[in-house]
Amino acid sequence: MVSRDEIMTALAAVPGPDGRAPLPDSGALSGVTIRDGKVFVAIAIDPARAKAMEPMRAKAEAVIRAIPGVKGAIVTLTAEAARAVAGAPEAHGHQSDGPPRRHGRPSEPLPGVKHIIAVASGKGGVGKSTVACNLAVGLAKLGLAVGVLDADLFGPSMPKLFGLHSKPSVAPDGKRLIPLESFGVKVMSIGFLIEEGAPVVWRGPMVVSALNQLLREVVWGELDVLVVDMPPGTGDTQLTMAQNVPLAGAVIVSTPQDLALIDARRGIAMFNQVKIPLLGVVENMSYFVCPHCGGRTDVFSHGGARKEAQKLGVPFLGEVPLDIAIRINSDDGRPVIASMPESAQANALLEIARRVADTLAAGAPGAMPAPRIRILE
Amino acid sequence: MSWPTDIMAREKGRVLEVAFDDGQSIRLSAEKLRVESPSAEVQGHSPSQKRVVTGKENVAIVAIEPVGNYAIKIVFDDGHDTGLYTWDYLRKLAT
Repeated sequence: MVSRDEIMTALAAVPGPDGRAPLPDSGALSGVTIRDGKVFVAIAIDPARAKAMEPMRAKAEAVIRAIPGVKGAIVTLTAEAARAVAGAPEAHGHQSDGPPRRHGRPSEPLPGVKHIIAVASGKGGVGKSTVACNLAVGLAKLGLAVGVLDADLFGPSMPKLFGLHSKPSVAPDGKRLIPLESFGVKVMSIGFLIEEGAPVVWRGPMVVSALNQLLREVVWGELDVLVVDMPPGTGDTQLTMAQNVPLAGAVIVSTPQDLALIDARRGIAMFNQVKIPLLGVVENMSYFVCPHCGGRTDVFSHGGARKEAQKLGVPFLGEVPLDIAIRINSDDGRPVIASMPESAQANALLEIARRVADTLAAGAPGAMPAPRIRILE
Repeated sequence: MSWPTDIMAREKGRVLEVAFDDGQSIRLSAEKLRVESPSAEVQGHSPSQKRVVTGKENVAIVAIEPVGNYAIKIVFDDGHDTGLYTWDYLRKLAT
């Protein structure tokens, strides 16, 4: 009789899919069956690499055949179980009489998009969208391919901030939308699809489905970073983003005042709860320098966000002053980082973009690889 | 905080095995996972609403889907698929 151990010993001589770890240690063996001296082995691989894996398969078959007592060996390559299962029909389904239930979709990466980051705040009105817009343009200035998804469906700000007013066109496939482009950034917002000032009056499930469409039914192309401008708070949109896409990290924007910091803390706690790494905290409206007398006023206090970040062990990304040039340029659809690149404000924002880019390149603190999911025999 | 590295359904879906990066590994029966599903269908909206699920000795896992960075959704062969099992919850069930 051939034993499983003998097969494993023989297979140890064959390097697995990564070309290094021997097959039994590679985790790719998804099934070993012995029947009447015949051995059947399945190796799970990335289907895109099927051709390149053929020599490994043949070698595994050869070493098993060489074991005394083995009458035959069949080694097959199978697509990774996680993928096969994700596409499997719903087993036994619908016990209830209602329509088939879809509780969100499994988390899938966006093809072609390397990093998706969220710009969030607990509280509204802290300048989150303005920071998101300038951060995106800043990342583009640093040479990255950048997109912006306006996830604030109830208060889309990106059309105004980027000075975009046309409607996106439909891609040749007739299904997806082509994002608009401004300052080297691809932008998609629900604001392109509705009249300015028209309200979006929706319940949660509509929000979830619209978000998924804006995310997945858009021709983003190859992007290094997709910046998602989140609405304030910790609700449906945040949960949808946390569940349906692997977020590389989140940037929290807050003003230095206590009232805003309390909500920022909530935002940070939410991202911790759903295990999304924090790229850092931005203090917006950090101080005000009077254009008339040059005196400085800390309108919303100062340094609170930095202190809070230190307390919570989250990186601090930088301070952006409260400045009329930011407001005027933003209202005109000219992000200050592009329209006044030499200004102190622009420099502060560019520095923030640089830190975010560096953190993404190095891997956000606390970022963990997704566990491997397999259905074995 | 330890982090899961491998999540495997074994024995025709009757057992879930989770390996963590601290070297620890836990084993949970599909039955346990099913009757202790974190879904509101089982837990209700408060401890007093919790339902006791019985007759699931032979339930099996048919699919496991990732949910963001923090949980998995387990699909059982009795059609139950509304439980999101966070890493912490899986660990808690194993103790």
